[in-house]
Amino acid sequence: MGDAKLQDLILRREKIRAGGGEARIEKQHAQGKLTARERLELLFDPGTMVELGAFVKHHCTYFGMEKKEAPGEGVVTGYGQVDGRLVYAFAQDFTVIGGSLGEMQALKISTVLSNALKVGAPVVGINDSGGARIQEGVASLKGYGDIFYLNTLASGVIPQISAIMGPCAGGAVYSPALTDFVFMVDRTSKMFITGPEVIKSVTGEEVSAEALGGAMTHNNTSGVATFIADDDRACIADIRRLLSFLPSNNLETAPAREENDSPDRSDPELNAIIPDNPSKPYDIREIIGRIVDNGDYLEYMPYYAMNITTGFARMGGRSVGVVANQPKVLAGCLDINASDKAARFVRLCDAFNIPLLTLVDVPGFLPGTNQEYGGIIRHGAKLLFAYSEATVPLVTLIVRKAYGGAYIAMSSKHLGGDLVLAWPQSEIAVMGPSGAANVIFRKEIKSAEDPKKARAEKIAEYTAEFATPYKAAELGYVDDVIDPVSTRPRLIDAFNMLETKREKLPAKKHGNIPL
Amino acid sequence: MRKFNVRVNGKSYQVEVEEDVARPAAAAAPPPPRTAPPPAPAPQVAPPPVPAGGGNVTSPMPGTILAIKVKVGDTIAQGEILLILEAMKMENEIPAPVAGKIASIAVEKGAVVSSGDPLLVIE
Repeated sequence: MGDAKLQDLILRREKIRAGGGEARIEKQHAQGKLTARERLELLFDPGTMVELGAFVKHHCTYFGMEKKEAPGEGVVTGYGQVDGRLVYAFAQDFTVIGGSLGEMQALKISTVLSNALKVGAPVVGINDSGGARIQEGVASLKGYGDIFYLNTLASGVIPQISAIMGPCAGGAVYSPALTDFVFMVDRTSKMFITGPEVIKSVTGEEVSAEALGGAMTHNNTSGVATFIADDDRACIADIRRLLSFLPSNNLETAPAREENDSPDRSDPELNAIIPDNPSKPYDIREIIGRIVDNGDYLEYMPYYAMNITTGFARMGGRSVGVVANQPKVLAGCLDINASDKAARFVRLCDAFNIPLLTLVDVPGFLPGTNQEYGGIIRHGAKLLFAYSEATVPLVTLIVRKAYGGAYIAMSSKHLGGDLVLAWPQSEIAVMGPSGAANVIFRKEIKSAEDPKKARAEKIAEYTAEFATPYKAAELGYVDDVIDPVSTRPRLIDAFNMLETKREKLPAKKHGNIPL
Repeated sequence: MRKFNVRVNGKSYQVEVEEDVARPAAAAAPPPPRTAPPPAPAPQVAPPPVPAGGGNVTSPMPGTILAIKVKVGDTIAQGEILLILEAMKMENEIPAPVAGKIASIAVEKGAVVSSGDPLLVIE
């Protein structure tokens, strides 16, 4: 082979590596954004990235596109390693025709998805695109459709992580929406189906792009995004951290890690977190922080439905998913959004063989017309469905209240909880003492000489007898009542015991979860 | 943190005001104290996000106002407790979604509220 041919290859490669050129790269940087290549270099372990399809070219000849060059077709794709494990990735390149997606960009992305699916490796997709390449017409729509289809096929087989690091509008939003995790970078990312101008012209509403589809909007209001990061670097660091909790595919388990935190560590402070008065709130994350390895807890959807907290942690070096009611927000009630959030998280963990730890302190489902009209029955049912269907080890710890239907929903023995533990101050009952006393002792209270006093007596009677973990334990619904101090060793022991759990659901095409 | 002397109805208050934080100061997930061996530190508390609608504080659920911790004219920091709402057998703390001054209070102690009812306005 002559030097000239090799020289030609080098020149071609250099041109593609330059993307949209220096001026556009500078503009990208000025907006606080990294380029597609910079992002991928940060994602992968140094020197491990292998690019695929760099020479792919569009073949559109409409509207002068035949003269337009698009190095790399506006997307950089390939594979590499994250903490030594194979990961596929694509990153749209905003400097090349605004990162717009045409048929051939879609082909590059689809190739990444189908290859990752074949070998069972996670996919990270970095979105930074103006949308469909309009010059290509319906061919660009076909491209999106192909990606959505592959996202769906890959769902539950390989972890799919989307990062929004620029605009992501119109149909483009549905690829991230179909994936398991959506990261958004504060200020620089936007997601919407229709932008502020269209909304203004159709409904007259005036709204800024940030308020409509910014990172915080989707993290706390819409629930579209699952994480928020301050900038591209922080976002990519978070993605790498998230990957450490996940297996590469649904046939593997997440990598275990040697943790510098003894499984036998007991913690007297656990006795002090829950206030003596059962009507005082506290932050359930303080309990989580004290029982998991090194307090390392990656919260999933930390700003959405904050009345329930979900996230990843390790116990004895192994990944667990944590679901816990948060008494600090909305009294820790289950409502529509909390049910949706927790149900999705439970199914995510179940799909990827991540055992679940459920901490229960729940007074019930949230009352109100907006909840009923909004379909709390249908949404709450998702959580029941998700736990019942889950075959991963389910360990439940009731730390204080577990009342009514919400008790059943929170990974109770009845829905398949494998091991249910309770702290001594737990109240496991069909309803709270005052309500229950009013119903059960209505006649006695009414006919008493001093109804007020009689009522107080009956409430005290009910509290002593029923607002404890022991009625449930007598029936075998609670396997053991434990000293809070010993929680961490007991939970780790439970997960060790359940490690070989095998459970099969009846053969079916798929269940019909009340979506 | 900056200190101001504020005079309200002839009474002088010294208040500390936090600099404008664009979004609820991060801490989504508690920073991983990777190095710290046991006992594990508790995760940090994420401040509540700023809801759409800025300074209008509405009741998040039906309940009874147990206590009002602020007065009209008080300057408050983001996250400061404004009211205690007793609901679902819990004394729920209602924190300030934004920093500012209490412009008006729509409820009294003992009032029964539904979800969405206005509680107070911060300007």
